[in-house]
Parts: sequence; structure tokens; C-alpha cells
Amino acid sequence: MGRYILVRTIWILVIISIILSLNFVLLKIAPEFPPPTEEEKSIYYARQVTDGYMTVRVVDDAVEVEEITTAIETNTVECSKCYYKPNEVLNPTKYWAYEPVPLSHQYFRWVGNIITDWNWGFSTRVKPNTAVFDVLIGKNADGTYSGNSRIATTLKLNLIALFFYIPIGFGLGIIAALYKNSWLDNMISLLVMFFISVPSFVVMTMMVMVFGFQLQWVPDQWPPSFLATSVQLRALILPVLGLSFGAIAGLTRTTRAELTEVLTSEFLLLARTKGLTRTQAVIRHAMRNSMVPLVPGIIGSFVFLLSGSVIIEKIYGIPGTGLIYLDAMTEGQYDFNLVLGITAFYTIISLFAVLLVDLSYGIVDPRIRMGARR
Amino acid sequence: MNEEKRNLQPRDFEFVQADSKIYDKKFETKPIGYFKDAMIRFSKNRTNVIASSILGLIILGTILIPIFSSKNFEVLEAELAFLPPKIPVLSNWGIYEGTSEKENIPVDLTTIDSETGLGLPITYQEKEIDMDSLTNYYVECTDRDPLCQDGENVLSVDVGATHVSIISEEYMTLTKTKNPSIEIDIFDFINEHDSVLNVYVKPSFTDPYTVVGTTNVAGVLTIDPFELFPDLNFPMITQIKIELVSTDRTDKVSINSVSVYDNSQDEPIFYENGYELSQYTIASDDDGAGLFVRSHGQMLMADFTFKNYVSAFGSHYRFMPASEYNLIMDENPQCVSSPHPDTVNYPNGWVFEEGCPVEVVFTQTESVVVEGVEYYSFETMLNYQLYKGYEEVPYYFFGTDLNGRDLFTLLWVATRTSLMIGLVVAMINVSVGVVYGAISGYYGGTVDLILQRITEVIGRIPWLVTLSIFVSFFGPGVQTLILILIVSGWIGPQAVTRTQFYRYKGREYVLAARTLGAKDSRLIFRHILPNGIGTIITSSVLMIPGAIFAESTISFLGFGIGHGQKFNVFGIEFSGVSVGVLLSDGRMYLLDHPHLTIYPAILISILMITFNMFGNALRDAFNPALRGSE
Repeated sequence: MGRYILVRTIWILVIISIILSLNFVLLKIAPEFPPPTEEEKSIYYARQVTDGYMTVRVVDDAVEVEEITTAIETNTVECSKCYYKPNEVLNPTKYWAYEPVPLSHQYFRWVGNIITDWNWGFSTRVKPNTAVFDVLIGKNADGTYSGNSRIATTLKLNLIALFFYIPIGFGLGIIAALYKNSWLDNMISLLVMFFISVPSFVVMTMMVMVFGFQLQWVPDQWPPSFLATSVQLRALILPVLGLSFGAIAGLTRTTRAELTEVLTSEFLLLARTKGLTRTQAVIRHAMRNSMVPLVPGIIGSFVFLLSGSVIIEKIYGIPGTGLIYLDAMTEGQYDFNLVLGITAFYTIISLFAVLLVDLSYGIVDPRIRMGARR
Repeated sequence: MNEEKRNLQPRDFEFVQADSKIYDKKFETKPIGYFKDAMIRFSKNRTNVIASSILGLIILGTILIPIFSSKNFEVLEAELAFLPPKIPVLSNWGIYEGTSEKENIPVDLTTIDSETGLGLPITYQEKEIDMDSLTNYYVECTDRDPLCQDGENVLSVDVGATHVSIISEEYMTLTKTKNPSIEIDIFDFINEHDSVLNVYVKPSFTDPYTVVGTTNVAGVLTIDPFELFPDLNFPMITQIKIELVSTDRTDKVSINSVSVYDNSQDEPIFYENGYELSQYTIASDDDGAGLFVRSHGQMLMADFTFKNYVSAFGSHYRFMPASEYNLIMDENPQCVSSPHPDTVNYPNGWVFEEGCPVEVVFTQTESVVVEGVEYYSFETMLNYQLYKGYEEVPYYFFGTDLNGRDLFTLLWVATRTSLMIGLVVAMINVSVGVVYGAISGYYGGTVDLILQRITEVIGRIPWLVTLSIFVSFFGPGVQTLILILIVSGWIGPQAVTRTQFYRYKGREYVLAARTLGAKDSRLIFRHILPNGIGTIITSSVLMIPGAIFAESTISFLGFGIGHGQKFNVFGIEFSGVSVGVLLSDGRMYLLDHPHLTIYPAILISILMITFNMFGNALRDAFNPALRGSE
């Protein structure tokens, strides 16, 4: 068992580092979008130098200055990621030339920065020159907290949805299995088919339209944090429902399938012949056995919820990581450092969920627990 | 089983072989093959058959409807934007009439009909409104708007200021012989800090403002302006200045009206309240500062049913170049013009008789000559229906979108795009997955181990990561969309194929073929794959709805395809509008134009549900393990 845990953990860490490295390298190859204003730009490039992604030198050779000036004027600068800052704005006789170091060097500096400083780079547009991780936890540049941690918002929402959907999904699945082929089962199967098929954004949009705009039972979008707690609580209803419908449908279907299989198995018949009532047989023998493969599935469903929350956050205007990701991905003005940070957050969270799934398999499946190889 | 068959008697049975031998007889029934068996099991489940038929109809619709539709679904027509649904037969019964309910539109007070007492809402014309549904009612308002009538105006000082004054807009002429009096009707005076209200007039232009009346309680304050100036013999032409002297901002004076009476008539010669009173300006030259706000005003509002189609196909203002104007004149010989009735405002304008696309020409601009060609244009009012050449007002089944395109046709075009992307993505994924899974499953061992580790890494990449990488390289578009969908989409078919290969590769017939010298490729593609292909293909059918699902999600977020894009598949051009794009458009107008969201949502729901049911049914039908069950 110890060996199993060790192997799985190392393997997941390897996958995380492969994905993050791939992401870093590919996003660094893509065209860059530095901050728009001149002042933010100079801070940004100075920081690129201190972080080790660029070098800076003074260009005072008259020929080279001339070359750079014409290149900037005619918009034919060969090195697309270089930045030439004139020393005197009006009459450039000298330039500060910021030039990127080779990608491999950048990569090792990036890894080093993360490990030593937890420095994931700085936002270029959404919140210029704020550390990416600070943007995500809502820390301002002056060290104060804005009270809106995007990571906390997203995780809170997803965990509420997780704890909301599990009992409902189980309950419906058990009912459907116990009353198999009755009208109740058919009804549940119909709903399951509907919610598995229809994309969550369609369901969410319709719910916002009906309950938010037409009936006005709940707010039609996420309320700002200064509003009363009752409004905040009511605002949770729609996103939690929107997130969980798909998950409920999936869990119901799996529970029904597992439980039906166990209910028709021979050991259950044996339990009945020993004199147990149907209730006893179902609860003590059938349920417990059918739960075994479901537990890891539930942990895994957190990944599913998390990736689905991006679209729910967009529809309902929830200031979480998903919304800021979409903001950073605005066409033509990408904020790649922020994108890198957010995708790293999603990668790490979802792969740790995968690790938990693997480990829970190890715990519930005796073949793995006993040290047999899979 | 019916009753007859249940109560069988011995005489119902007869011996088949009582007088004949059957061992050399042929089977009378036909043998049931794999596909026939699958077909039987497929058609047994009636729900699945219905779902599959609906799916078939949808696919047929996506092919036929865009071809035969006469409605516009490509060109932008701002005049026809946001028309509600209108359906031919149903509109006679009062549903889907092409109307929309409008609420809380201010009433144009000049249009109030003396007979019914109802006024028309501003900017709407009478023919566009279902007059039976029109209702008027008052709501409270605090706007400084001519439509916000009556009520009081509340004067109070700012924090730190000692006084504030307001001055009337108009000058009034007060003649001593007519014995004028100024009346200030004070509705309420919250006075807890010894505040005082002073009324000033200017005896002549050169004199300063002089206090003529003072009060500190509510009620009508009547002032004789000549009391202090008994020697003044010429008329006083003055503005009225009202000053609140107060040290606390909670002291407020609510003024109902300011009026001036004299003995020439019973009615006041000057009367201002509500909106007119609110136009009094706060004097800025006396160091005072404060607020002068409206309260308890009343605005007449209208609720009514708006005939969108009448409005959209009615008159529209258009500034058109002479070339277009002349073209219309050439095509419509019935157009006969006569001078514009309003010769004061439109001295050069002219009108046309009914039946002409151009109703009115207001002016003709001066011509500009560029390179010998004369350019000028006309300011016109068009009859949109005649201008577009419609015999009668068309029906838009699902209404029109924000750019005036027919949503019904657009929806089918969008579904076609969605289906085609789903099909293309599924085909690519299945091809890649089958080859990959075949290699992995056939060779096994180290090859399998390495290939499966690679799959695991790729399969674990969150979709946000692939999304950001592809979008940053290629920008949003159909190429990005398909790449995102295939980057990890082949993993499912790959796993199915690999399982099938593990199942069949150890069979004796494979061994026999190998002994006969068959190469690996022959074994894979001729001997193993055909045996597993049924399972692979049927499980791949479910990839299509999965791809449509993902496509619509990505397009909804704005990273997929969009309006104005086009792409080619097998030489057929597809529009860049998918159902996800339509839903994304509709999201902005959830409150005012729900039809933009409802119809695409319903269609994609039906499409996804039937596709999933069809896929599941197909999978069950081809699953030999279920043979004979149900």
C-alpha cells in the first residue's frame, strides 16, 4: 500500500510538471502583450529583468541607434519581444534595449522563481504589475486584501455544489434502482437523460431568464459583496443548481446501474434466504457493495464541477477564477502570465483530485490494498 | 399476451411431427444475423425509435430548410431587429401575433385624447399600438423632466452653507395700478433650526434684490411687492428670488407653486409649479449653496401591446444617395409626387401618393461634383414594406435576431454547422483513436505501457490549458475549435479499440493467420479490427453529441466560431454561426428578447437528447451480451 501511494503521488507530480512546463513554453512562444501604458510598461520590463527573463543594456552606438529608430518608425523590429525605451523621449540618442534571454534559460528561471519565491509572474493587463497569485487571492499591490479572493469564491461555490449534489444524486439513484421499471424510475431516467444531454450553460441561461428576470425570485446576477447576507445566500441558489444538475444526473445514472447489478446478484438472494428483510438486505449488503466504486467517482466529479464552473461564473457574473480567466483571455489583449497562473491553479487542483481518486481506489479496492499490481 | 393465448386447452396443441419426419426439412424461418438481430433489438424499444426519428427529422431539416427558406439569414437589416415570433395560423387565434408587451413608457402629454382620456407613449405612433390594450396610470417621479408633473420642489442648504437661493427663469411685469400680489405656496417647512425663507424682487434693473416677504412656516405666503416701494410708479420687471437661510441641511422647504395675481383677471397671470418650478436655477453669485430637488412628482405612464411588425415594416427615416433614389423611381412608375404640405419647414420637400416606397422627401442635399460626376442625396421617409418589395408583411416563425435575420432559418443553419463540426471532430477522433489503440493493444508490453502513459498525460490536461494555448496561437476560429476538441478527444475511442484488441489478439484464428505468415498490419486491419469494429463505431456515435456539446460551450464563451466566419468541409461552405453562437448572442437580451434564447435552447436540447438516446440505443443494439434480453 505504501509503495502504491508513493508511486501514484510521484506520477501525478510528474504529470503536473509536464503540463505546466508545456503550458509555459507554448505560451512563451506565442506573441506577447505587454501592458498598454508607457509607465506600466517600464515597470513591467524592469521586473522582467529582475525575474531573469530579459536582459537590459544601453545602446549608445550611433549606427545601432539609427537602425533601431528606423526599425521602430517603419514598424519592422525583427525581435518581436524586444522593447527599446528611448532615453530622451523626443530625440533618441540612446536606447535601453530589453531583450529576452533564450527560452530554456527563461524556463529554469521560472521554475526557480516559483520554488524559491512562489513567484508566478506579474499580470500585464487585468491588474497591471500585480503578482498573479495576489490577483487570484485578492491581495492588492499595497499588501491589503480586497476581501474578494477569487480562489476562495470558486472553491466555496464548487464545494457547496459538491455537498449539495451528492445526497440528491445518491437518493435518486437508489430510488430508481429499488423501484426499477416503475413510473418513478422512468421519470427519473427521463430527467437524467435531459440533464446529461443538455449543456449546463443552456440550463443555467434558462434558469436565469425564468427565475432571475421573469419571476425575480433570485437575483439575476451575482450581487456585490456589500449587499445583505440574505441576498448573498439567495444568489447561491442558481449557480449551485446550474453546477450540480449535470453531476446529479451522472451520479444518479451510475448509482442506479451499480445498485441494479448488486440487487440481482446471488449473494443478495442468499441474504434474503437467510431471513433478512428486503430493507436489511438492501441497506447492509447491496448499498455497501455498490458504494465501493462510487466513492472515487465522487471525488473525481470535483474536477468536472470545477471546469464547468467557468461557464457558470460567466453567465452569472461571479467574480471567481473562471471569470478572471475569461477576462485575461480577451481576444487580442491576452494577459498570459495571469492565464498561466490560473491554468496552473486548475491543473494542480484537478490533478490532486485525481490523486485522491487513485488513493481512494487503493483504500476501497482490496486487490490494490493488499499490494497486488494493477 | 392476450387472454386467448393464456387459457390454452389441450385441443389447442397439435403434434408437429405426428405423421411426418422433420429431420431433413429446411428451417422455415430465416436465420437472424448480427445486424438483423441488432435491428430487431433497436426497433423493439419504442422510445428510442421515436427519438431516432426526431433526430432524423432534425438532420433533414438542417439540409432542406436553409435551401428552401425565402427569408434572409445573412444580410444585416437593422430595421427588422428583434421582431418577436409570428406564426401564420396561430396568429389568428391571438398567439404568436408578432406583438410584444411594453410597460412603463412615459406618455406624450400632447397626444391625450379628450374622449378616452388616454395618451400615446412617446416615440410610438398610433398605428403601432393595439389601442384596446393601452392603459395609462400615474407613477411617482423625481425627474426634472417635462413629463414629470406636479409635486413639490424641495430646497435645502448644503453642509457648511448658510443660505441658498433660487431664481425664476422668467421675468414678470408687475404694474402697481393692477395691485399685484405674489403667492408662494409652501407645502411643508421642516424647520427645527430657526430657518427663514425670504422672497426677493428687484425694483429696477440697477437695484439689488430686496426682501419683500419672509416666513418660517408652511402655508401660502402672500406678498404685496409694492409695499416697500410706495414711490415706485413705473412697472417692476423682475425675477423672483427665493432664499432659504438655514444652518442645517435637515431643514427643508417644499414649495408647491409660485404664482402672481393681479386685478386684471381671476386666474393668476403667472403660475409655475412642478417641472417649471424645478427649472429655477440656484443662484451662484451670492455664496449660497444647496440642493433643489423634485419630490412627489407624477408621471403618466402607458402599458400597451406593441405591434412590432407594423412598426418594422412601417415608415423609416433614411438618408439615401441619388443613385438609389433614382433606381426606386425607375422601378416604381406609380410614384407621383406633389409638394410637401409643410412648406415652412420643408420648402424643398415633396410627398408621394400611397403605394410608393418613398413616402416623403424632406430635402435634397446640394450636389457635389467629383471628377465630373454629380453626387447628391435625399432625406426621405420610406415605407419599409414596399421598399423591400414584400406583397404582405412576412412571418418570422421564431422572430428575428439583433441584426434582423430570420431566427428560424438561422437556427437550422446553426444546427447544420454544429452537426458538421461534431461529425468532423468525431471522424478525426475515431481515426486517430483506432490507429493508436490498435498499436497499443496489438503490441502490448512496453509499447503499450509507454503509449498509455502518454495518453494519461494528455488526458489529464485541463481543457482551459488547451484552450489558452490554441487560442493564443491561432486566435478564436474554427481551426482552434477543432484542435481543442481533438487534442484529447481521441482518448475514448483509443481505449475502446485497445480493449477490443486485447480481447481478440490471442484468439486461435489470429494465431493461425500469423502462422501462415500474415504481417502485423494484415493481422491488425484484416483480422482483428473487423471483429471489434461494431463496438468501436457504435461507441463513437456518442462522440458526435459530445463534440456538439463541447463546441457549443466553447463558442458560447467566444473562443470558437462566430458571425461572419465561414469554413469549408468537403467543398461545401458552412456558416460560422453555431447554436452556441446564437445562445451567446441571446444572453445579452435575456430580459427584453427571451425568444433569442428560448428557441436555440430548445433545439439544442432536443438535438442532444435524441442524439444521446440514438447513440445509447445503437450501442445496446450492437451489444451481443444483451442478445435475447428484454
